[in-house]
Amino acid sequence: MRCDDVADAIELMAAGELTPDAAVSAHLTTCGSCARSLETARRMESLLRARPAPAAPAQFTSRLMSRIRRASWRREQIVDWIFNAAMIAAALLVGVGLWTALRHTGLSVVSREAMGIFSSGMIAAAQRVTPSLPLYAGATGLLAVALGVWWWASDSPAL
Amino acid sequence: MEPVRERELVDRCRREEPGAFEELVDRFGNLVFALIARTIFDRSRAEDLAQEVFLRIHRGLPYFRGEARLSTWIFRIVVNVCTQEQSHTRTPISLDDPDSRLPAPSAVDRQFTDIELRDRLDKAIQRLPAQYRLLIAAHYLEGVRYEDLATAMNLPLGTVKTQLHRAKRQLRLLLEGDLK
Repeated sequence: MRCDDVADAIELMAAGELTPDAAVSAHLTTCGSCARSLETARRMESLLRARPAPAAPAQFTSRLMSRIRRASWRREQIVDWIFNAAMIAAALLVGVGLWTALRHTGLSVVSREAMGIFSSGMIAAAQRVTPSLPLYAGATGLLAVALGVWWWASDSPAL
Repeated sequence: MEPVRERELVDRCRREEPGAFEELVDRFGNLVFALIARTIFDRSRAEDLAQEVFLRIHRGLPYFRGEARLSTWIFRIVVNVCTQEQSHTRTPISLDDPDSRLPAPSAVDRQFTDIELRDRLDKAIQRLPAQYRLLIAAHYLEGVRYEDLATAMNLPLGTVKTQLHRAKRQLRLLLEGDLK
C-alpha cells in the first residue's frame, strides 16, 4: 500500500466515518508520515468539533430592528417623493396641455366669456340669498335643537 | 424548526404581526451570525453582514413562495452575502503573520499545544477558499443540515460532502505545511 492510497482516507478515519482495514493499519504502523497526518487530522477534527459557536451580540435584534425601521422609512420616503413628483408632473402636463389646446383652438376667448357669465351668475345668486340668511340660520338652529332633544330622549333610560 | 411552524412564522411575518419578525431573528440570529463570523473572521463585519442577511429576508419575505424550507432560503442568502463579501475583500493571511507569530515548534518535538494548534487552525481556515470556509463552518455548527447547504449552494448532496472532504484535507495540508 502506498501513502497516496492512505491519504484519501485520512479525513474519513479522523472523523470516525471509516475504520482502517488491516492493510491501512499496517501501513500506518510503518509509515511515520501517514501516522503523523492522521494524528494531525484527529486533533484538527476534535478542535473543530469543540470550537464554541460565536453568539450574536446582545443587542443584535434591537439594532437590526432599528435598521429595518430606518430602511422602511427611507423606502416610504422614496415612494412618497416619487408619488409627489409624479403628481406635480401630471398637473404640469395637464396645465400645459389645456393651455396649448385653448391657444390652438381659439377656445380661450369662449372660455373667458363663459367664466364671465358664470361669475356674474354666482354674484347674482349670492345677492338674492343674502337677505334671507338670518331666516335660514334660525331654521337650521331650530332643526338642530329638535334633533338634539330627540337624541337625548331616545338615549335616556328614564323616558 | 418544523416546516409547519416555519410556514406559520413566515405567514405571521408577512401579516406584519407585532413580534413575528423578532421571533424569526431570535430563531435564526445566532446561527446566521455564527456561520458568517466563522467565514469572515471579523466580528464587527460579521454583525453587519448578519444584519444584511436579515434585511434581505425582511425585504424578500413577501416574495418567499415556500417551495424550499425557510432555513434553506436563509442559508442561500448567507451564502450569497458571504460570496459577495469575499469578492470585495481578499486578504491572504499568512500562518506566520509576524504580528501574531507564536513560538516556533522545536525541531526535535513538533507537537503543538492545543492553543497553538487552535490559533494556527483559525489562520489556516482563513486561507481556505470562501466556499470551503462556509462548508467547514456549517458542518461543525449544530442545526445545519447537509441537505439545506446543498440546496442553498445549488450543489448535489454528494458534491457538498466531497467538497467538505477536500476542505478538511486542504486544511490539514496547510497545517502540515506550517509544521515543516
